[in-house]
Amino acid sequence: MLFPTTDFAIFFCLVFLGHWWLNHNPRLWKPFMIAASYIFYGWWNWRYVFLLAAVSLITQVAAIAVDRQREPRRRSVALALGVAATIAPLLYFKYYGFFTVNVANAATTFGLHVAPPLIQVVLPVGVSFYTFMAIAYVVDIYRGDFEVASWVDLYLYLSFFPHLVAGPIVRPNELIPQLDVRRDPRHIDVAGAMWLILGGLFKKVVIANYLAGAIVDPVFGDPARHSSPEAIVAIVAYAVQIYCDFSGYTDIAIGVAKLLGFRFPQNFDRPYSAHSVQEFWRRWHMTLSRWLRDYLYIPLGGSRKGTTRTYVNLMITMLLGGLWHGAAWHFVVWGGLHGVYLAVGHWKDGKRESGQLAEPPETALVHGMQQLATFTLVCIAWTLFRADSVATALSLLARTVTAWGVPSPLVTAPVLLAISAGLVTQFLPHRPAERLKAALSRLRPVPLGVTVAVVLFLITTLGPRGVAPFIYFQF
Amino acid sequence: MTTDTQERTTTRERSENPGDGPPPGRRGMPAGRVLVVLLVGIILWSLLYAPELKRSSEAQPDGLRRTISLAVLDPVVWVEDRVGLTRLIDNATQALGRHPNEAVGGGNDVDPLPSVPAPAHPVRHPQRDTTIRVPTVAKPLRVIVVGDSLAQGIGSFAERVFKPSLVDVIKQGRISTGLARPDYFNWPAQMRTIVDRSRPDLTIVMLGENDAQSLVTPAGQVVAQIGTGDFPPAYEQRVRAFASLATSEGGHVIWVGLPNPRDSRRWDFIERQNGAFQAVADQLPNVSFFDTWSTFASPGGGYSAYYHDGKHLTLVRADDGVHFNADGYTILMRLVAQFATDQFRLDPKTYEG
Repeated sequence: MLFPTTDFAIFFCLVFLGHWWLNHNPRLWKPFMIAASYIFYGWWNWRYVFLLAAVSLITQVAAIAVDRQREPRRRSVALALGVAATIAPLLYFKYYGFFTVNVANAATTFGLHVAPPLIQVVLPVGVSFYTFMAIAYVVDIYRGDFEVASWVDLYLYLSFFPHLVAGPIVRPNELIPQLDVRRDPRHIDVAGAMWLILGGLFKKVVIANYLAGAIVDPVFGDPARHSSPEAIVAIVAYAVQIYCDFSGYTDIAIGVAKLLGFRFPQNFDRPYSAHSVQEFWRRWHMTLSRWLRDYLYIPLGGSRKGTTRTYVNLMITMLLGGLWHGAAWHFVVWGGLHGVYLAVGHWKDGKRESGQLAEPPETALVHGMQQLATFTLVCIAWTLFRADSVATALSLLARTVTAWGVPSPLVTAPVLLAISAGLVTQFLPHRPAERLKAALSRLRPVPLGVTVAVVLFLITTLGPRGVAPFIYFQF
Repeated sequence: MTTDTQERTTTRERSENPGDGPPPGRRGMPAGRVLVVLLVGIILWSLLYAPELKRSSEAQPDGLRRTISLAVLDPVVWVEDRVGLTRLIDNATQALGRHPNEAVGGGNDVDPLPSVPAPAHPVRHPQRDTTIRVPTVAKPLRVIVVGDSLAQGIGSFAERVFKPSLVDVIKQGRISTGLARPDYFNWPAQMRTIVDRSRPDLTIVMLGENDAQSLVTPAGQVVAQIGTGDFPPAYEQRVRAFASLATSEGGHVIWVGLPNPRDSRRWDFIERQNGAFQAVADQLPNVSFFDTWSTFASPGGGYSAYYHDGKHLTLVRADDGVHFNADGYTILMRLVAQFATDQFRLDPKTYEG
């Protein structure tokens, strides 16, 4: 079920009613929310609910197995087996085709004949997200950071529909304790929730969908037919599109959870205002960044095992982060490029700390230049992310300098306006928005409902027709 | 990813305030009133957006969902029409930059049609196959790709396969369209406009994926019920009329057949559709049928998501088991271009090298 659909609107009203009606009775409330979440997930394909249930089962068995071992070595073995079992469905569903094609073609190159079974494995939506949450749960139990939850809590933790298909990647200690606390039905932050939901819809439907059709898809589809200005604007437009698409989805998810009385972690914090790529990763898809740090980078040794090992760990983390986004080489190269950016940033930090490199002056001009440089580096990397191959990405990047003087019909005022709108949100102060939310919260239900309807009408009319899926659903 | 700290954020700490009430300065609202906000918002939006929702529902294939949607929306739109609300909403919609009756499946995926002056001497409908003219940089070929979402796919990759200096690719693919439902989108009328205005040298057609439903007139009256004996000849007649239109000014047509979908329950119907496309191509000059099904089927004739060109294995089908992925569309488009060379001597320079 997609958030911006009438199906979801009807579903949510029913769930909202049941949720608050059963709020006082956890024995009924938890099964109700699990059932609702499985219906939400099964709306795409009812067979996927068995996968979600199976991953939940494997996760809980792994967690119990880890928890029961007291001897450290056996505990580590149980963890390794548990994580391997938890991640196995993800590896199969996500990488089977990639593996098959690359192994068969590599074998052919060396004159060998390999005939793997040519199965088309369809990637179930959300499997990457709930698998990461499952791994976090098992590892946290291994580390003693969290206790084994009840079966019902674990099933609800992994399936809770607001985060199910594209995050945020919520930690066990952020959600499971909330399942046992009776939520207060008297003081719902409806203004804050509506602000997030409508703002998220605006970003997704009006900005992201428009930019995708107006310039990003045509230019990335065939760079050779487009001018340098179109290539540059398309790359920047994609940076705005993916931000508005993914942060829009997350805002809706957080807003929906808020209406149910739940708090989710923040996932985006004005990423394009970052002064360095390191800062960008502290602001972009924050729940994935911290997952990669806590469950991959630090277990690899982080920065505690010497300079060379730090760079190797950074590269491994970012290459795997790239591969997590998609089973294709252009995602791996995207991750690798960010690994290089982070390694260079780390090297510079080290030089500055040792006094070998001067700190840059603290002026507005320098800050602006740092932001521009960071945004440019991120955009170059996004080109690899969006293009359907490394060759297409390189062709588009080359096009940014080789096709000046050619007409640029796709660089239009609405495109530039949509890009500007997406970028301006990175720099606006918080206070006016807070005032507006406070004013909205003072409206009575009917005027607030009318306001919601009018804004929804504006959003659905301003955006292109049809419902485009969220970019991050494919991951 | 942050690297400036080695501190994990996981702790045994329990959230002090697990719920999420309003922050200072903002008022909360009881759940019952929030439900009123949701219902007022959704119902009022549905009323404001009813004409558009009705148009979307009409686009859906026949079935329970479409029937229920239209049963709800028809009376709402009827009342809105009578009280003048539809006009008000349409005016608001136009003020926001969208034409309320704009063609479906369009938007940014459909290229504007170039206007080409009519030739000094009228071109007659060809009596036998002719060849496609040799393009020059000064006078490139006009290749138009028409059809449904599959055509949108090959249209996008036609731009990549054909050389921009020798071929102008004009994408006209519109999602969810076909020949069965001219009440939703009238392809013959659109093809007439395309031919009159743009006089394509080559029209690549990929249509039919959405045609497993009864054939209706532009006014919505059923003329051939699906599953009856009336359907096959009526459908073939529509294919013939469409192909005739596309070649009426001397242009050429490659009718790209439908691939076999993963769902084998649909194979019989699609094989009959491909049979109709093949039959029309055999009858009409300047029309040729490209057999997508055989090209991409497994050696045993079944569905295969992979394509082997003798050297490389490539995953070519999308997860839905109907469409192609980017590699698949590129391979299909390249094969169609080579097929046009075989059939109508399309200059290979337009896509090779």
